[in-house]
Amino acid sequence: MLHAAGLRKTYKTPAGDVNALLSFEHSFASGQVTAVLGPSGSGKSTLLNLLAAFDTPTEGEVWFDDVAIHSLPEKERAGLRLRSFGFVFQSFNLVSVFTALQNVALPLGLAGVNRAERDERARQTLDRVGLLHRADHLPHKLSGGERQRVALARALANDPSVVFADEPTGSLDTANGALVLSALEEVAAEGRTVVLVTHDAALAGRAYVRLRLRDGVLEEVEREPSTELEQEPAISVPDPRRARVEAVPLASR
Amino acid sequence: MIPQLAFASLTKRPLRTALTALGIAVAVGSTVVFLSLGEGMRRAFNEGMAGLGPDIQVSYGAFDATSLSSVPQLPQHYATSLQEVAPEYGISAVTPVLVYIRGSLAAARAFVFYGVPIDVDLNRMYTDFAIVEGRELGPRGSEPSAEGGVPVVGEAVVGEQTAERSSINVGDVLRFNPSAAFEVVGTAIADGGLLDNAIIVPLEPLQAALGAEDRVSFLTLELEDPSAASATAERLSQTYPELGFQTRSDLSSVFERAVRISDVIRLGISAIALIVGGIAVANTMLMSVFERTREFGVVRAVGARPRFLMGLVLLEALLLSLVGALVGIGLGYLGVIAVNAAAYDVIGLDVAALTPRLVGFAVAVAGGMGLLSGLLPAARAARVPIAVAVARE
Ligand SMILES: Nc1ncnc2c1ncn2[C@@H]1O[C@H](COP(=O)(O)OP(=O)(O)OP(=O)(O)O)[C@@H](O)[C@H]1O
Ligand SMILES: [Mg+2]
Repeated sequence: MLHAAGLRKTYKTPAGDVNALLSFEHSFASGQVTAVLGPSGSGKSTLLNLLAAFDTPTEGEVWFDDVAIHSLPEKERAGLRLRSFGFVFQSFNLVSVFTALQNVALPLGLAGVNRAERDERARQTLDRVGLLHRADHLPHKLSGGERQRVALARALANDPSVVFADEPTGSLDTANGALVLSALEEVAAEGRTVVLVTHDAALAGRAYVRLRLRDGVLEEVEREPSTELEQEPAISVPDPRRARVEAVPLASR
Repeated sequence: MIPQLAFASLTKRPLRTALTALGIAVAVGSTVVFLSLGEGMRRAFNEGMAGLGPDIQVSYGAFDATSLSSVPQLPQHYATSLQEVAPEYGISAVTPVLVYIRGSLAAARAFVFYGVPIDVDLNRMYTDFAIVEGRELGPRGSEPSAEGGVPVVGEAVVGEQTAERSSINVGDVLRFNPSAAFEVVGTAIADGGLLDNAIIVPLEPLQAALGAEDRVSFLTLELEDPSAASATAERLSQTYPELGFQTRSDLSSVFERAVRISDVIRLGISAIALIVGGIAVANTMLMSVFERTREFGVVRAVGARPRFLMGLVLLEALLLSLVGALVGIGLGYLGVIAVNAAAYDVIGLDVAALTPRLVGFAVAVAGGMGLLSGLLPAARAARVPIAVAVARE
């Protein structure tokens, strides 16, 4: 369980202090996608950075189960990110000199998994997102959607409890965006917490919980999926991939 | 993972990597050539002189690098005097030697004359001495030369290499100065390089020709127990405070000190090239760290500690420097060959040597330089906050 209480983040700038986030309070349930919505500059990325142990709050607390993330030394934050969290950013997610497989194997390598096992597990995870045939391609040889799926595979490689995604569909077309979102929904369905930052109201509508931020303040929490949930995504996910998803359980789960 | 990532990053930009490595290669190469000169001198000394010197060498006053190039100073009566006390000090032989260096820019006309008593056993002075052609020195009186008016005042044995280089044959007459010439009666070889450049002539005619009767450059003492050299030299210098007594190891250390000083000077010059090479590495690494800010943020986000990035950048800098060093040692080797080819014509010695310890030194210096110049970029890479790194477009 991920829980934030009384969170405030104030950036000191030459032009004065910027309150990017104020008195934020929320418990993120597992097994669901929680969407964070809001206009540009409303503090979405700031919130995600605090939750994901990238940054420390000016005030307030972030708890992951019984771990106080807000007061954790950097060494242990790195360990937490490595073993319990996964990330997908809007773009430039991948190490450009590594192949898709090497990128997915990176967190496994950092966790000390030996080469043979990490290659095997990275292959399985790549297969989950339907990209095993692209394993040996460098990122610049992949399409934008493929890159985001590789990033998702990497996020899942260490079997995290929480997956953070900051505008993961921001640089994708609707079809590819829907693919990535479906994958995130599957990830949540496995019992993980998924925190999704997005501009896209249509995508956010599919989430079970929606947080609306404005000027750093949590304005509104919507708990039911909107009517948009009933709409099918613009393209449907190919069946063979879904079949594979079920056939290959996540390693060590 | 670090080596894999470092290797991939360096090979991603082959031209930049190659150019930076080349900069280091040139720096290391020039350092190798400079320092190989000292190594060459050491090698020449060790092979040619160290084992061959007398147990004790006696000079007038302290012995230094100028002792051989100036006019002979040591009164020869000390030879008689030392002979008299020989049993007391365990001295088995006293040999007066006059060294006269006739320098010339033309290699074929530069000689080192050694004047020794005619009855001296050259086998005792040189290890593995052997006559190649002709015979050893014999007595002969002054006699007019067949050609010209210069009288032949004695015989000469010429080092084989000198003979070849200057086309001297047995039977030739060497004109020493307008009033003295020596007839070559033999050519010889010995262990080490010393004899190679030498012309051995009888002591007295050489003294006469130089107008230095009763003066020699130094005396050599052979001891019954060579291992007592230091103690004996110590005792002798109390009896003869005006003389200098050098043992073999004293001579080596005089030489070693001179080479060390020149090492420091040459290292100083090389340091400039090495510093420039180091700056090139630092610059390349800073540039590549800056370019990868975003990527490094992602790697940190995935769970790498700052230490990981630090290790990565340091390893890249180290690899870059070591590749440069290897190429540089290759370049240095070519340089050493070129320097030796040029020097051999002039002084008949290999002046430069690429020794294993010089190779080791070059690798160590390049490695140290790589790590040092990687420190700043590495610290930068580790310091960028993740949130800032991943936010940058
Ligand atoms: N490192 C920083 N230093 C100073 N101000 C910052 C910093 N990061 C963000 N801000 C400011 O904090 C506020 C919130 O920024 P944040 O990036 O969280 O917004 P966002 O909701 O993610 O916007 P977007 O939809 O454009 O990504 C903005 O006013 C922004 O300018
Ligand atoms: Mg943002």
